[in-house]
Amino acid sequence: MYEPKIIGFLCNWCSYRGADTAGMARMKYPPNVKIIRVPCSGRISPELVLRTFREGADGVMVLGCHIGDCHYSTGNHRTAKRMPVLKRLLEYSGIDSDRLAINWVSAAEGEKFATVIKEFTEQISAMPPFAETMKMEETK
Amino acid sequence: MSDRLTSLREAIQQVFPQVDGVLGIRRGPGGIISPYLFHSEHPEELEALAIWPKEPLPDVLRKIQKAHPEAKLAIVCRGCEERGVVEMMKHSQLNWDNLTLIGLQCTKEEAEFCRCAKPYTVHAKIVVGEPIEGVPDPVTEKVAAMSREEKQEFWKEQFLHCIKCYGCRTICPQCFCNICTLEDEKFVETGRLPMPNPSMYHLIRAMHMTAKCVACRECEETCPADIPMAVHFRLIARDVQEMFSYETGAILEQKPPQLLVLEEGEYERTGLPH
Amino acid sequence: MIEYKSVLTTCPYCGTGCTLHLQVLDGTLVGTLPAKEHPISQGGLCIKGWNVHAFVNHKDRLRTPMIRKNGKLEEATWEEALGLVAEKLGEFKAKSGPDSIALLTSAKCTNEENYLLQKFGRAVIGTNNVDHCARL
Repeated sequence: MYEPKIIGFLCNWCSYRGADTAGMARMKYPPNVKIIRVPCSGRISPELVLRTFREGADGVMVLGCHIGDCHYSTGNHRTAKRMPVLKRLLEYSGIDSDRLAINWVSAAEGEKFATVIKEFTEQISAMPPFAETMKMEETK
Repeated sequence: MSDRLTSLREAIQQVFPQVDGVLGIRRGPGGIISPYLFHSEHPEELEALAIWPKEPLPDVLRKIQKAHPEAKLAIVCRGCEERGVVEMMKHSQLNWDNLTLIGLQCTKEEAEFCRCAKPYTVHAKIVVGEPIEGVPDPVTEKVAAMSREEKQEFWKEQFLHCIKCYGCRTICPQCFCNICTLEDEKFVETGRLPMPNPSMYHLIRAMHMTAKCVACRECEETCPADIPMAVHFRLIARDVQEMFSYETGAILEQKPPQLLVLEEGEYERTGLPH
Repeated sequence: MIEYKSVLTTCPYCGTGCTLHLQVLDGTLVGTLPAKEHPISQGGLCIKGWNVHAFVNHKDRLRTPMIRKNGKLEEATWEEALGLVAEKLGEFKAKSGPDSIALLTSAKCTNEENYLLQKFGRAVIGTNNVDHCARL
C-alpha cells in the first residue's frame, strides 16, 4: 500500500475556510492532501492541473465556492466550465479522469470538507501510482 | 473539378467591383499553390486560380485586415474556413462588416481527405459548387472505441514522434494569442525530445481548442510527424456541443461558451457534483 | 492597392531543403507558410523553418563585417575585412604550411558558394581541410 500524493487547490474564500472549520472542530481526515490556497477556483487553469500531474501527483482536487456564492460572483463558473472538459480530455488521452476531483465546499461545511478529502484519498489509494501507470520518467 | 473552378472565377469577377481584393489560392511557379490576393485591376491573374489543396486562408485574412482595417475584402472559403472566419470574428480578430464570403463547397473526395463532417458553407451568400453531406471520421471513431490503456499507448506512441515544430499552433486559424502558453517554460519543458509523457504540449493545446477548433485539419496536414491531433479536438467538440450546446461557426450571434457564465441547465450537463 | 503574395523559396537553415512561402504584405515580410504539395517537405516545416521570416529584418542581424580592434568589435567595410583575412591567411600559410588552415562552410550558402569555398581551399590555399555543418 503506497501513500498517494494529492494536491488540493482550495479557494481562499470558501474551501480554505472550510478546511479551517474542519480543523477547529478537530475533525479527522487523511493527511495525503497537500493544500495550496488560491484566490479563486477560477484561477486553476487546466495547465496548472496538467503540470501538477506531470510533477508526479497521483490526484488533484479543485475545491471552490458553491455556484452562486463566488466571492468574485462568476469566478467558479469558469471552473465549472473547463474542468469537466479537462476531465473528458484526460479520459481521451488514456488517463483515469477520477484522478481529478472538482467539488464545492463552503466556509461552514467543515464536515463536508473532511468527507470529501477522505473519500478522494480512499479512491486514489485504490489506484496504482500515477507515474507508474504512465510509465513516466522522473522530472528533472 | 474544372467546373467548380470556372464558376469560382465567374463568382470572383462578380464580386470584384464591390471589394478591394479577393483572397484565394493560386498556382504559382513550379505548380506550387499559395494564398494570393486577387485584384480587379488584374483579372488575368485569375487564370492561375486554384482550389485544391486548401491553404490556411483565414489566418492570412487576419494578417491583411490587421494592416488594413478599413479595406473591403472577399475570401474564397470552404466550410471549415468559413467557420474559422466566424470564430475569429467572435474573438474580435476580424471585422465581419468588411468581409464578403464566397462559399466553395467541397467534393466527396476532398471531404474524405479531411474526414469532414460539414464540408459545406452556411453563411456565405455567394455559393460555388453543390453542397454535399459530411463523411464519417474513421480515425476519431477508432480512438474513441479504444480502452483506456489502448488510448494511453496510442497517444504515447504518436507524441513520441513530435519534433515540437509548433507548426500545428502556428498554422491554426484559431491560435492568434499574442502570448502563448505553449511558449511558457512553466508548462512546456524546453530542451526535451521526445517530450515526456504525458505530453504537456499536446494536452494544453487540446484544452485551448475547446469550443474553438473548426475542424479544418490544417494542423494534421502540416505535421511532419503525421500526428492525428485533430482527434482530440473533435472528441472534445462533441462534449462541448452536449454540455454547452455550442457548435463552432454555426450561429453568428452565439458567443463561445468559455467566455460566458453558466447558463440555465448547463451545470447539470457538466456532470459535476451538487 | 493592397498587395499580398507568397514568395516560394527554400529554407536556409539546413541541408534538407524544405520549401516554404514567405508571406509578403505591401512589400513587408509578415510570416511563413509551408509549401503543400512540394515533394521535399510535403507541407511540413521544423520550428526553425516556421520562423525564418523573423531574422530577415531583425535589429540584431549583422549588416556589415565586424573587426575586433582593441578587444572591441567595430563595424568595417568589406574591403577592409577581406583584406585582413587575406593578409592573415597568407601569413599562416607562409609560417605553418597550408594544412594549418581549415575551412568551414555553411548550409545557409548555396551549392555554388560551397563549391567555390572548397575550390578556394584546395586550389588557392592547398588544403583538404574543408567541412560543412550539413554533413551530419
